[in-house]
Amino acid sequence: MKSALKIDALREAVARMPNDRLSDARLAALQHLDDQGTPTTRHEDWKYTNLASVIDLSNQWLADGAESAPPGSDSATIDAVTSRFDANWLIIANGKVDLDSIALAQEAGIGVALLSDSIATFDFDAPLADLNIALLHDGLCLRIEAESELSKPIGILFIDNATAAVGVTQARVEIELAAHSEASFIEYHASSGTASHYANTVVNLDLGDNARVSYVRIQDRHHAHSQTNRLGVHLGRDSRFSHCAFDLGGKLIRNDLNIQVTGPGASASFHGLYLAGDGQHIDNHTRIDHRVGPARSRQEYRGILSEYSRCVWNGKVIVHAGADGTDAEQTNHNLLLSENAEIDAKPELEIYADDVKCAHGTTIGTLDEAALFYLRTRGLDAQEGRQLLTRAFAQIIVNMTPITAMQETISGIVADRLANLIDGVE
Amino acid sequence: MSTSSEKLESLVNRRYEHGFVTDIETDTMPPGLNKDVIRAISARKKEPEFMLKWRLRAYRYWLTMQEPTWSHVRYTPVDYDSISYYAAPKSDKDGPKSLDEVDPKLLETYEKLGIPLHERARLAGVAVDAVFDSVSVATTFKEKLSEAGVIFCPFSEAVRDHPELIRKYLGSVVPQRDNFFAALNSAVFSDGSFVYIPKGVRCPMELSTYFRINAANTGQFERTLIIADEGSYVSYLEGCTAPMRDENQLHAAVVELIALKDAQIKYSTVQNWYPGDENGKGGIYNFVTKRGDCRGANSKISWTQVETGSAITWKYPSCILRGDNSVGEFYSVAVVNNYQQADTGTKMIHIGRNTRSTIVSKGISAGHAQNTYRGLVRVMPQATGARNHTQCDSLLIGKDCGAHTFPYMEIRNPSAKIEHEATTSKISADQLFYCRQRGISEEDAVNMIVNGFCKEVFKELPMEFAVEAQALLNVSLEGAVG
Repeated sequence: MKSALKIDALREAVARMPNDRLSDARLAALQHLDDQGTPTTRHEDWKYTNLASVIDLSNQWLADGAESAPPGSDSATIDAVTSRFDANWLIIANGKVDLDSIALAQEAGIGVALLSDSIATFDFDAPLADLNIALLHDGLCLRIEAESELSKPIGILFIDNATAAVGVTQARVEIELAAHSEASFIEYHASSGTASHYANTVVNLDLGDNARVSYVRIQDRHHAHSQTNRLGVHLGRDSRFSHCAFDLGGKLIRNDLNIQVTGPGASASFHGLYLAGDGQHIDNHTRIDHRVGPARSRQEYRGILSEYSRCVWNGKVIVHAGADGTDAEQTNHNLLLSENAEIDAKPELEIYADDVKCAHGTTIGTLDEAALFYLRTRGLDAQEGRQLLTRAFAQIIVNMTPITAMQETISGIVADRLANLIDGVE
Repeated sequence: MSTSSEKLESLVNRRYEHGFVTDIETDTMPPGLNKDVIRAISARKKEPEFMLKWRLRAYRYWLTMQEPTWSHVRYTPVDYDSISYYAAPKSDKDGPKSLDEVDPKLLETYEKLGIPLHERARLAGVAVDAVFDSVSVATTFKEKLSEAGVIFCPFSEAVRDHPELIRKYLGSVVPQRDNFFAALNSAVFSDGSFVYIPKGVRCPMELSTYFRINAANTGQFERTLIIADEGSYVSYLEGCTAPMRDENQLHAAVVELIALKDAQIKYSTVQNWYPGDENGKGGIYNFVTKRGDCRGANSKISWTQVETGSAITWKYPSCILRGDNSVGEFYSVAVVNNYQQADTGTKMIHIGRNTRSTIVSKGISAGHAQNTYRGLVRVMPQATGARNHTQCDSLLIGKDCGAHTFPYMEIRNPSAKIEHEATTSKISADQLFYCRQRGISEEDAVNMIVNGFCKEVFKELPMEFAVEAQALLNVSLEGAVG
């Protein structure tokens, strides 16, 4: 069965959107999406992830009148997340920006505004990013100045409350860091309700010369909810980007992390952990374009798969002609705990310059029987042994979380999720 | 430094040494492809009816297929109507009964190529089947092989003499509709080699085929089928050259290997088709489908390839590890210089229990060339205890070349152990400086480093090929570092 987005219904939905400064962009994005079409598994980048379920959901939502739930309908979940991590929280609930949270952030000295008040032009580069603009109510625009002294990280909470009806939401955040500025961000995806839901989010991050960013993304959506998420990063001269992502929940999850190295001396480290259980499909695509050198990039992704789950990891390093002095490494390790789990790993290198150092390594396997046996001789039962070994495997990523204050809490969340996953493994 | 780079410059410009044309009359079909051409090829080969039907079915599939575009190479499209699908040396028309009847000019060609045919064959102890343009010209050592029960003959002969084996195995590893080029080959293949090793026989000598495209505007579509029956062993070598021509020529071959229970096949290739000139003009398009099927338990198929020629290479010798405990190996050195492009690698499909595979790929890029490793390791849910180790390294020589790695791992069994590692680097100034300091010329130092880089693969090659491969590598890269 071939699923395609019903473009006429989409056009009607776009026509019903408010007439504001984003109107032209929405129409342009719609046109671009119409020209390109939505990706299918025949596209190399989508070989292992079939968007049919998400597209069907979107079509159904369009047919139902394209209504989304009102914002602020789930304050309990919002409180739970925002109290867990100390940050200045900006909230996008059900695709709509929470204006109170903007006011609070502004009081704390953060340069933040509505997207519609800030910019009206966008780059159109990927079909899902087009869909994002076409149906975007509004988004956030942040600018971090060199002298801003932020005592706490900036939290961005994407939360969707899927009530009785099928829901589709779009959210977008544009962040600019001035030269010599520094900031930490927490990107948190949560959802509640049991109806089918699809969230499509885009975050763009532009690092000026010598800017420093610590970035932590946590995705802990409901098991009935799907998400596509795109983080685009531009690195200026001598800038530094440290990123860590945790995928814990969700049904069909696709994350695209695209990094453009455009300034010499830049460095990027981006790591991730994905934990998948029954029926989950988690796809992480990373791509780093080294356009100039010297520059350094490091990435390590780890995954633990149990029950009927499937994960995809596709890391791509492109060293463009002239990007001499590039030093890039990518690593991916996977633990398969179930007969029914599948991992599709694809570490890619595309190199057009000769003065480079690039390497990648991938491993796939299950828990070491000898290690499990050793733990049993020390009095741990099989379940405790598995728990210990999987935690140790995951902890390596947790320890790389660039906002160190978060490590302990994340470690706890990961342990809880692992306990869930391992329950039932024999 | 400037004198040395001048010297290097002159070495880079060295011409392809197998680029001569043998001036003999050929029997060539007019260009273009249709059912009549296929009927004519089949008739000229005196093939039985089933073979013609098989070809026509492949042709029908081919008409519905699209030329693949996913590979990481760029080339001017092939005009399938301007190619002649059959060219044979005229003298072959009456069918040479022995080497003495073969056109001396042809033998001279092989002399120039340094193939151990005729007397030299006996010395080297290698049985050679030489395919010139489209037909097999001579097969040496036939009698000695038949004593052991080994069948080694031109494909067209096998179709006539052993139709039961052909019917049973042809297309059983690479079906007609497998891909665009395999379908084309299935429709028009002209000749190639056929090998059958009976139960429990260790083939007394190494078998070898030499391919050469001589005539202009022809394509070469050979087909090789090797069947190793239970408990047998065979080592097979394949080499190829072509004259220098400004136009691109197409080579679309299919190789099928079948290893039954406890059988082993070792397939080695030294591919040295004309790579085009230093501006990327001319050269062979080498679009080849090679696949081995480890059908029985404990069987083993090992591919070793040294790829130095061809303008475009598109080739993935693969192993289907169907039998329990079967083993697949792939050792490859791919060297590209000037404007050559190679997209090559392997596929290891683990189906049986406790199947193991090893992939070692060494890519070297120089000049403006692009070298891609593309490999798939797939572990099916029933393949308990599967094991794979993949190592692919790239060496870059020069600012304008590229080295790319696209490994695919699709793992669906938790007991699998899969490791993949890859590195990309250039010959470091430190290494060169150290060698220079010890009195080794820059040229020799580069050769030494490159040979060391490729050692793991060369040691898998049979002796006489290893020497040739090493020499080829040195020629291909001479002057690449300045």
